[in-house]
Amino acid sequence: MTITVVKGLDENGQRINSMEFEKLVRKASASATNIVLDTYGQHNIGIRLQKEDGLSITVRGPSGQRLGCMGMPGTSILCEGATSDDVGYLNIGAEITVLGDATNGACNAMANGKVFIGGSIGARGLTMTKWNPQHEKPELWVLGSTGDSFAEFNCGGTAVVCGIDAKNPDNILGYRPCVGMVGGLIYFRGKIDNSFPKTSAKVAEPSDKHWQWLQENISDFLSKIRRDDLLKTLSIRDEWHVLLPITPQERALMFSGPMPMAEFRNNHWIKSLGGDPLRDLAPGLDRSVIDTIVTGDLRRKKPYWANAEAAAPCTYYCPVHIPTVDRLRLIREGKIDEAYEMLLHYTPLPASVCGAVCPNLCMENCSRQGVDDSIDVQILGRSVNHHKAPTIAESLDRKVAVIGGGPAGMNVAWQLALAGIEAHIFEQDEMIGGKLAQVIPWERLSQAIWDQEIQRFLETPNISTSLGFEMSKEKFVELQNEYDYIVIAVGTHAPKTIPFPGHEKVLPALDFLKRAKSNTPIPVGKEVVIIGAGNVGCDVACEAYRLGAKKVTLVDIQKPLAFGKEKEAAEGLGATFQWPVVTDKITDEGLWTKDGELLPAQTVIISIGDVPSLSFLPETVETINVGGADWITTDKAHVTSDAKVLAVGDVERPGLATHALGAGKTAAEYIIADCKGFEWQPFAKEVIPQKALTITHYLPTETGNTEASQADRCLSCGSCRDCHLCETICPTGAISRRELVFDTIAGYHTEHGENYEYISDDQKCIACGFCADTCPCGIWTMTPF
Amino acid sequence: MVSARSASVTPGSLAPSDFPWIIEHKEERCTLCGQCTAVCPKGAIHLAHMRKRIPQLEVFSKKRGNDYKTFTGLRQATDPAKSCIGCGMCSMVCPNDAIGPVPGTGENRTVFFDNRKGEPLKRGGRRNVSGPTLLDRIVFNRISMLTDPALDAGRHEFTTTTTLGRILSPEDFLERTINGGWIPPTREIFPFIIGSMSFGALSPNMWLGLLQGVAYCNEVLGIPVVMCTGEGGCPPWVLRSPYLKYIILQIASGYFGWDEIIRAIPEMQCDPAAIEIKYGQGAKPGDGGLLMWFKVSKLIARLRGVPEGVDLPSPPVHQTLYSIEESVMKMIQTLSTAFTHKVPVYPKISASTSAKSVLNNLVRNPYAAGLLIDGIDGGTGAAYNVSMDATGHPIASCIRDCYLDLAAQGKQNEIPIFAAGGIGKNGNVAQNGMALMMLGASGVHIGKYIMQAAAGCLGNEKNRCNVCNVGICPKGITSQNPKLYRRLDPDKVAERVADVFMSINTEMKKIMAPLGRSQSLPVGMSDAIGIGDKAAAERLQIDYVC
Repeated sequence: MTITVVKGLDENGQRINSMEFEKLVRKASASATNIVLDTYGQHNIGIRLQKEDGLSITVRGPSGQRLGCMGMPGTSILCEGATSDDVGYLNIGAEITVLGDATNGACNAMANGKVFIGGSIGARGLTMTKWNPQHEKPELWVLGSTGDSFAEFNCGGTAVVCGIDAKNPDNILGYRPCVGMVGGLIYFRGKIDNSFPKTSAKVAEPSDKHWQWLQENISDFLSKIRRDDLLKTLSIRDEWHVLLPITPQERALMFSGPMPMAEFRNNHWIKSLGGDPLRDLAPGLDRSVIDTIVTGDLRRKKPYWANAEAAAPCTYYCPVHIPTVDRLRLIREGKIDEAYEMLLHYTPLPASVCGAVCPNLCMENCSRQGVDDSIDVQILGRSVNHHKAPTIAESLDRKVAVIGGGPAGMNVAWQLALAGIEAHIFEQDEMIGGKLAQVIPWERLSQAIWDQEIQRFLETPNISTSLGFEMSKEKFVELQNEYDYIVIAVGTHAPKTIPFPGHEKVLPALDFLKRAKSNTPIPVGKEVVIIGAGNVGCDVACEAYRLGAKKVTLVDIQKPLAFGKEKEAAEGLGATFQWPVVTDKITDEGLWTKDGELLPAQTVIISIGDVPSLSFLPETVETINVGGADWITTDKAHVTSDAKVLAVGDVERPGLATHALGAGKTAAEYIIADCKGFEWQPFAKEVIPQKALTITHYLPTETGNTEASQADRCLSCGSCRDCHLCETICPTGAISRRELVFDTIAGYHTEHGENYEYISDDQKCIACGFCADTCPCGIWTMTPF
Repeated sequence: MVSARSASVTPGSLAPSDFPWIIEHKEERCTLCGQCTAVCPKGAIHLAHMRKRIPQLEVFSKKRGNDYKTFTGLRQATDPAKSCIGCGMCSMVCPNDAIGPVPGTGENRTVFFDNRKGEPLKRGGRRNVSGPTLLDRIVFNRISMLTDPALDAGRHEFTTTTTLGRILSPEDFLERTINGGWIPPTREIFPFIIGSMSFGALSPNMWLGLLQGVAYCNEVLGIPVVMCTGEGGCPPWVLRSPYLKYIILQIASGYFGWDEIIRAIPEMQCDPAAIEIKYGQGAKPGDGGLLMWFKVSKLIARLRGVPEGVDLPSPPVHQTLYSIEESVMKMIQTLSTAFTHKVPVYPKISASTSAKSVLNNLVRNPYAAGLLIDGIDGGTGAAYNVSMDATGHPIASCIRDCYLDLAAQGKQNEIPIFAAGGIGKNGNVAQNGMALMMLGASGVHIGKYIMQAAAGCLGNEKNRCNVCNVGICPKGITSQNPKLYRRLDPDKVAERVADVFMSINTEMKKIMAPLGRSQSLPVGMSDAIGIGDKAAAERLQIDYVC
């Protein structure tokens, strides 16, 4: 075996520089497989040296940096002393043995081969190592310890650190090893300071496979560094540990901190706070996590089926609060008789008033107008004409005197009679009906209908009448003694006049109309002027034409207040309106205006309203003077300052016949409640807002002229029409319909006898509000809670 | 026939396109599941039923008339009170990607009606001015390339803490150490501080989640993060816990919850991190705190010692303080004494041209531990829109002026200045914070960034959401309604807090390493920053780079 020695000093004892030395080594290796280098601190020894049958290099002198740098497979290097930085740098297969220590950077970026260190190494050992799967993993064996920052970014290197004669026996791997380590394996024996990053590496006990590998390879290492004596010492499995890399997959599963938050909460947070930190401020407060879409009590709103809790516009705006919406529902349900009877419980004059003279405030506000046209309520009113009066309730053994038999007084008597209270009407005229009977032209209120309704009224038990009764203070006192209550319903029968010159030539409208409807009408001239162009003036105009007038002029000092059917009728007959006109005087030629104009007329009628005449009133009943006349003051229940005396109708304030009927019903209800010992409750429902309804479900149609067609067109505002749309739209199936069994639900009462309800299951409902957005009738509402 | 219906028009009548956020609903994708309307915090959307008329118009057909067809869709309310806030909860819960808000592209005409009933708009959130801030434009341009020691942010150890508290001059320190004088307390804290957000402004789950995260940062991660309570007191059991040391207790003109704090002093296991005296707030300078009645729940009322369901405005000024001198002397001394001079006490003011006068008073006050200056981009739970958008002073030049003033007196290492207001406004929290530190701040307070990063706050500078004031926060961050705040899991907030501070910590190192700086924060290291705006560079006395 040839041994070639290469010297690191030249013949003059001068150090050969690393570049020249490398050439010498290279030359020597071409002819020899064993080279001994008497180095003198040359760098990069062993770089890119390889022989097919192997090359063995022994380094005897001081070694420079990067011993075995870029070492090739088959080359072995033995350094008999210590070595400097970066031993095995970028080694790809050489076997390098250093009998002493190695300084910093050992095995940096090594990809293959083995490095055996008989002492310890400095900082940054085994960093950036690689592992090419076509080759063995690189190995670093260290008998002693390592410096700081060991195995940073280690990818493939296997290291064995034995901890014999460690530089720092308390920490044989130095400070913060394994930063960024992604592969490889570190065996170590001895204490470490656990400063390795926990997200890069973990300490474990060697597995059987690990231990077997160590056992198989350690004797070779010990023999290379000539310490076979340590085999036994280093063969105690319990003394060995391994540092393994943490894979990104493992890391992704870890909470980004080293301790799961739940563990921190349970073991530290709650313990340090002694429990829930808000236990004193808010005992029992549940702060546990909930979903965004919730049911039950966690919802912020919940649906409420407010059936019949708000009034439909028809009911609300009708002065009598007739629930037309319910009447139409009964018709839809085929309960025609019940529908009629229900109406008669509100008014004795449905055909005459609802069906004829009333301007139908109910329908002015009908929601159906949003679809096509309002319900034709006159059809409904007229159809009740021939229906018999409802059954009378059991007698309450009370008596009420009603002074005045107009619509207000009639409804008082009617309501009282139906409730079992005797009502006696004292009427000044020879017939009851008040102005409806006395002054409304038969063109607008058919006599046949009227007579039918008066007959039904008069035939009703508990109602009696005294006609041609002149009222006085004395008689009033008598009535007070004889009756439990007195209801004043005398209306307004004193015409208002204006004292301009010639006023004595002027005919009051009230007298004219009363006479016109009698058998002895007052004759009129060809030309008629009517002062006051309201609806009564229009009635006067119509009657004047009927009685032979050819030209009727209505004058007013302001824009005429006439409207509706009355105005249309007057205009239809040719009446003209003129305003502003201030009357200067009346002569036989006619009416002279303040402007000096003559309106020729043979007849001048004044129609500027009527006032009450209350000469019979006792002092206990207070009045208020408005517009030169006294009117009786009442409260909401129409009770006057005398608790047993009530007043209804025009005597309180002028209004429509329907207002009079409404006042009569309210006053009667008060008396009935008082007799029965209940507290009287006024009508208190709010009107349902238009926007609560969903009217787009209805398709426009023709109005039709039957009760059934009106019933079909009704939107059923505020009153469930049992259409199941809510049940259908509910996305969670929370809404269902339930039949009500009255017998088993104690005390349950639903208005007008519906026998069902819709309910929403709190455990299914998510409070989307679709039921409220869909309900055609505005029943479902979302209430915050 | 179809009824001739006319919509009545008022001055406030608006079309959907007049709104700042417009709901887009794809009817063909919608399953009508109802989740969007169930979750919408404003009731801004509803199921609409609509009807189509289809006239029969075939000219050769004898049949005439109309067919009608009804259909459904989700539509937005055009009542400004129910206007969509763009939070996008509807799209979050929609299983079919059928609905969501898009920013209105027209003019937002609701602004003309924000003053109904004579009350101008109040809201929560931040200044609605978007785009890069001055801080975003500052670059760290001094890089040590083979000049200084090469530092590796991933490998080297960095000291990323700052000092809160008065630091004595070396002479003074020696003199007092030798003669047994009082050494003012200091704290080594992480320079990104969770700024004052009160228990009340924040929901219990949010507030406690933040504190849990802060505790985790300190005890598990070793990042010494502290948070400020804001002006709403502190739950008594927290005051008596070891976590008090991570809490800066704020005292302000409303004095909410201070009876509980004083009551707890004898039982405290540790001292609080510091005491912050609030004189002003960047979001609404010259205006006081405000907790609107929506949020004064039973719990909040109990902690604050006030009736339930009332508005809680704090006056813009402390009722017993009439001058800078008095503010500084009276308040700082009282609070320093309350904690036996062992807790740093510092004031918080709105950034202003007068900040330097306050600072100069503090320099002369031996008890003052620092100064916190809050700039115009600060956020708030509730303020008048005009205060938020148009009142205040940007933070950068205010901090810079104050720092240079200290430097001129040679006091820049003795009294720390902290900055707040818009740090991380566009997400660049570490960059913004470090830029401010290099301009002279010792640390920064962050509020909105934390709400966004730790709890997913949906607000932005384009008036998205911003309803913190009325307690309807859809994420449960600023609501006092358990039905809303129980959506927020405190554990998840705490985890996100830990995530946030771990990454800020890393980013700080990524900024410090190229400077060749690892062992102290580059406070005032203004030679390391530059900006591509000559006027700003000149004003801030930093490099103009282009």
